[in-house]
Amino acid sequence: MGEPAISIVEHEKRQEWWWAAEKKRSSRLDYLRKAIWKKGAIGGLYPQGLYVDLERPVLQTEKARELESSPDPYVIKFAKILAHVLDNKTIFITDHSQLVGYLGSLPNTITWDPTLAAVLNHEVVNDPTCIQEPLEESLKIISEVADYWAGKSDLDKIMPYLDLDDAMKVLSGAIGWGVPLSRGGYSGKDYEYIMTGVHAFEDIIEELDRRIDEADEKAHEPGASKEISDLYDKMNMWEAMKIALEAGIRYAKRYARLARIIAENYETDDERKEELLQIAEVCEHVPAKPPRTLQESLQYDLFIQLFSRNEAIEGAWPARPDYYHGPYYEKQVNVDKTLTKEEALDLAGEFLIRAAEVSQYKVKWAREGLQGIEGTWVWTLGGVKKDGSDACNGMTIALLQASRLVRVANPTFAFRWHPKVSDEVMREVFECIRQGLGYPSIRNDPVLIANAMNWHGHPIEEARTWAHQACMSPAPCTKHGFQPMRMANATVNCAKIIEYVFSSGFDNVVNMQIGAETPDAATFTEYNQVFDAWVTQMKTVFSILVRPVNRARILAPKMTPRPFLSAISERSIESGLDVCDPSISRGNAWITAFTWVENADSLAAIKKLVFDEKKYTMAELKEALANDWQGYEEMRLDFVKNAPKWGNDDDYVDTIMLDCLHEAAKFSRELKCPSGNSWPILPENVSGNIHYANIVGALPNGRRLGDALYDGGISPGPGLDKKGPTAVLKSCSKIDHISDGRAFLLNQRLSPTQLAGEKGYQLWKTYMKTWADLGLDHVQFNCVSDEILRNAQKDPEKYQEVIVRVAGYSAHFVDISRKTQDNIIQRTVQGLG
Amino acid sequence: MKCPECGYEAPVSDFRYLYNARIDASVSIRQCIQCEAWLAVDELHGTASKKIGPGEAPWGKSAGIEDLADDVG
Repeated sequence: MGEPAISIVEHEKRQEWWWAAEKKRSSRLDYLRKAIWKKGAIGGLYPQGLYVDLERPVLQTEKARELESSPDPYVIKFAKILAHVLDNKTIFITDHSQLVGYLGSLPNTITWDPTLAAVLNHEVVNDPTCIQEPLEESLKIISEVADYWAGKSDLDKIMPYLDLDDAMKVLSGAIGWGVPLSRGGYSGKDYEYIMTGVHAFEDIIEELDRRIDEADEKAHEPGASKEISDLYDKMNMWEAMKIALEAGIRYAKRYARLARIIAENYETDDERKEELLQIAEVCEHVPAKPPRTLQESLQYDLFIQLFSRNEAIEGAWPARPDYYHGPYYEKQVNVDKTLTKEEALDLAGEFLIRAAEVSQYKVKWAREGLQGIEGTWVWTLGGVKKDGSDACNGMTIALLQASRLVRVANPTFAFRWHPKVSDEVMREVFECIRQGLGYPSIRNDPVLIANAMNWHGHPIEEARTWAHQACMSPAPCTKHGFQPMRMANATVNCAKIIEYVFSSGFDNVVNMQIGAETPDAATFTEYNQVFDAWVTQMKTVFSILVRPVNRARILAPKMTPRPFLSAISERSIESGLDVCDPSISRGNAWITAFTWVENADSLAAIKKLVFDEKKYTMAELKEALANDWQGYEEMRLDFVKNAPKWGNDDDYVDTIMLDCLHEAAKFSRELKCPSGNSWPILPENVSGNIHYANIVGALPNGRRLGDALYDGGISPGPGLDKKGPTAVLKSCSKIDHISDGRAFLLNQRLSPTQLAGEKGYQLWKTYMKTWADLGLDHVQFNCVSDEILRNAQKDPEKYQEVIVRVAGYSAHFVDISRKTQDNIIQRTVQGLG
Repeated sequence: MKCPECGYEAPVSDFRYLYNARIDASVSIRQCIQCEAWLAVDELHGTASKKIGPGEAPWGKSAGIEDLADDVG
């Protein structure tokens, strides 16, 4: 006899939200949720059952070979390769689905783009986890593809044009993250152009034809000038854009045809037959023409995202889905009444599921840094419209509700809070947090709008359109404000800054000189000497990482063009320039500052114990660190326990944090991107605190090589914030969240017991009011008890669906490493009230 | 230091250091290089107290809320 069925209420009482969700969602959503494969790497390895898809690399390679002798310029060849993939890749329609399209040829495949980097291709060759049987046959194909692209891939082409010294330091993996490529990072989109129902692919093709004709005519008039010479490049770019858009329309029509074939020949269920015919109609209409319904709008968006990921590896998914799909929801659900709320909820849930299954093969360090997920797909909800009024709508609520039903860890949401948000919406936000999703994170809209104007000079109407580029970083969705590519290698492992103060810039882990050769720390007799060395190391490390990005941005338009992304961007359509061309972008660069707070805690410990109390000398400290604190345990504990720690409203250490931020902010103004704008810092971590654990040596805050670093942004060290939640907020509020940096991540853990019921909501609301009043720009919550997390470690099979907030993203708890799990459990659970 | 699981004896530094999940305690996790068991180690006294299994937390509970919420125990 089986166990008696447990009611939804009982599941919720036990905080088993995932079981409750399974019983609450529609049968369609339940089927679709279970029909996708988990794509995020577990630890650094892909889960069993996933395979590298070989279809696309073979298609790309065969087309590239065919075009070798073609007189086409590179950008057109590239567009033709993209079109060849879209025209020939295998397509399928999942049972019960209403939205179609996937990157790979089968649901359990991860797509591999061999045109990006030989280092990536080498990882595929050597991957022990996801090469499909028969192994010999697969390896033969992989080797042939990898051999062909060696020396031809984007990174191979770009590398000779970078400063070799900088490049070697970046590729050491000690201080940075990612590579400087326009087809490997985060791509914002010109949503104000492409997602407002005014322009779709056919309109753009018409516009491109007109521009090509005009340019052709002008180029053949009597005369000669640079402007005329430039027209040939522009005509090629416009032609490439056209090829990409036409391929997109054909791809959608292939789905329309497939849906019709299944409906008319194979489907026996009348209701499903109707749905398939509806899919056919949708795919015949979008992306060729602007959407008319919510289903078409979501399908249109999904196609755009897939095409863009056929062109590049996009590690993030900048989006504002309630804002751009909301008008269709409002029209159909509230005005025309052609769609019920339940039907809309199914569509919203399926949209999340279709996004959750998207996957692209990444190098192992990227997988380790983003444990459990495919990328940082943080979708932006809420916020204000261009005129400053509340932008929340029915789709905001539908997406929040859908997320609790489908419980995917990626995409997640970030909610743009502002004073006009209704209580109804705030309750939906709270319910997601209370049910342990770890999202939405909450962003302070007025602060971040002011921040965007301050750092990058975005006009207020544009600043108000902002969406997250990845976990945290805002950028407008406008013609000149949107960011076509954020090259992720301007991501600093900041704990190295304080480490290098003690090694005069020599990195003992990777055994090379990376930082500045500052004086021997053992000779320092004043705290100011330590801080001066810190500033020098900070400037050196930041510069090493920013320079290659600047260089690559300048090279990108010619060497690594993006014809599809350009084709959906007004500024490229108008100018005939590649979307990454810095001359047509306002610039929205930032330096992601991983492992930042270790610097403040370390400097405070040095100042207090070495210079104020004179308990130790700098020489002794240097020696203890060189020995990884081995044999110095009492001294180590002194540096942890008897030195002030960030997050306790203690001015001693908080002032040092501000000193560090002010120096970084000042230098950020001196660093310029190719568009001429600044490079503000943005402290956050993803799971870099675990990835870098074995790369960062011992630190004066008491950490040893191998220990997890703090969980990121301006979050206090786990367990070191001992004075309660208000003290944490007060410490963080000493930072000017408009001018000290671009954004600041704050992780907080709350007690699920405390958040229960109406009382829990009121407690949280009071906390959020304090947070807003203090002017912080971000906060995100974990709300899963220690007991559940420990049980999940003991019995992972039973707790497959437990979700936690790692850093700027959420992940299923069982998909992250034990070290990351323990790091999350050790975060202080803050008692409210 | 002696491994409580297999009896292997060696200096503390010969046991593979994994991590110290709680920075403000002298308990760390090391791995016995003979039996590969994860061990809770008192770094101050150089002794291994027990083998660590999934879900076990030798370094104590989350800080800060012990008096405020019962779910943390």
